[in-house]
Amino acid sequence: MFKIEEFDIKLDTDYIGRNFIYSDEVESTNAMLLASKDSNQNGTVLLAEYQSKGRGRKDREWISSSGQNLTFSILLKGEFKEQKIHLINLSAAIAVAQAIENLFQLNVELKWPNDVLINKKKIAGILLESISKGNKISRIVVGIGINVNQPNFPGQFEIPPTSVRKEFHSIVSREKLLSEVLNNFEEMLEISKRSGKKVLADWRNRCKMIGEKIKIVDGDKTKVGIFDDIDENGFLILRVGEKLEKIHYGDVSLR
Amino acid sequence: MSNELKIKSNGMDINLLKKLIKLVEQSEITDFEVAEGDLKVKISKNLNQVHIQSAGDYSRQAVLTQAPVFNEVNSKIAAAPAETLSKLHEVKSPIVGTFYRAPAPDADPYIQVGDVVTAGSVLCIVEAMKLMNEIECDVSGKIVKILVENATPVEYNQPLFLIETV
Repeated sequence: MFKIEEFDIKLDTDYIGRNFIYSDEVESTNAMLLASKDSNQNGTVLLAEYQSKGRGRKDREWISSSGQNLTFSILLKGEFKEQKIHLINLSAAIAVAQAIENLFQLNVELKWPNDVLINKKKIAGILLESISKGNKISRIVVGIGINVNQPNFPGQFEIPPTSVRKEFHSIVSREKLLSEVLNNFEEMLEISKRSGKKVLADWRNRCKMIGEKIKIVDGDKTKVGIFDDIDENGFLILRVGEKLEKIHYGDVSLR
Repeated sequence: MSNELKIKSNGMDINLLKKLIKLVEQSEITDFEVAEGDLKVKISKNLNQVHIQSAGDYSRQAVLTQAPVFNEVNSKIAAAPAETLSKLHEVKSPIVGTFYRAPAPDADPYIQVGDVVTAGSVLCIVEAMKLMNEIECDVSGKIVKILVENATPVEYNQPLFLIETV
């Protein structure tokens, strides 16, 4: 059972998580929060113990056992420009990485654009969904799934999963971890408003794939090249021979 | 694409020059210079160059390959008579990304040509960096044309749909 008091006492934010919704089961925290229209305030967090239709990119499922992990979404309202959204995306990945580093002193890496890895295994995934109308994006949900206390992961995976429990060799407090993530996220959002460069630099520092030969797969298309850098939007710059190509989607792996 | 040609001699052979230009055009070479006696020819081919300005001390110039699909679409729009366009409402992409007509690879498209939509109807998804942006229609009307192929790249502000408003 998630102890809301324990979470609340550690939460040190102005607006992220100040409106907190806890649910036993929803189809998808992202879908529910995005559909809630005007009833929820900026920064609302929806945490569900179980998602019956948890999702990832391209209709992939996010499967998480009930009560052991963290699956939640954060609602952001306003008027968002393209670059700002991508900085929010990178900020979320950094916030999760920082929280795991701060609380458990584990070595965390980021994989483009926003996977969080420990020892090449995936510990957290992030999917953003938004709605635009007339060229304006006014609602974004940041969906975050963190494997916390799940002891094992039966099945076949493209990237092997892991959990904080597996890496830290102990059951940990989900409440403290969630508050730490939200504290860091709000701080990163504030930083990103002042300087996108700081966010990009923080992201680069945690990505060990820059400079390496990588493969980018999307459906039946594959591109191979050197991971040159990320640009000001966070797009991946792939070097193929003498040419640089901007990549904005696809699954990245080391070649 | 703009081409630049500098000739610093009177004694040039036009045919030779034509051959050289053709050679450069068909090759990957962007700058070409040749000198023989008094004759000096410089051919430079300016490709679309984009500056990528990155954060921190990292900055460089780079040639970005452009998605051919975007160019095709653009030329199609440009070819359409202006008077037809003015009666139609364009729905544009708010972000750079990949255009999807359906919520999932095996699902039905949100809309087809001829469908009647209202403000708030979902038209498509544009995806970039694990951000799935649903584009809602901002007017009521009938879908006249879908300007982009499914699962192809779109640019910022690129028109995606033409809607005949009611």
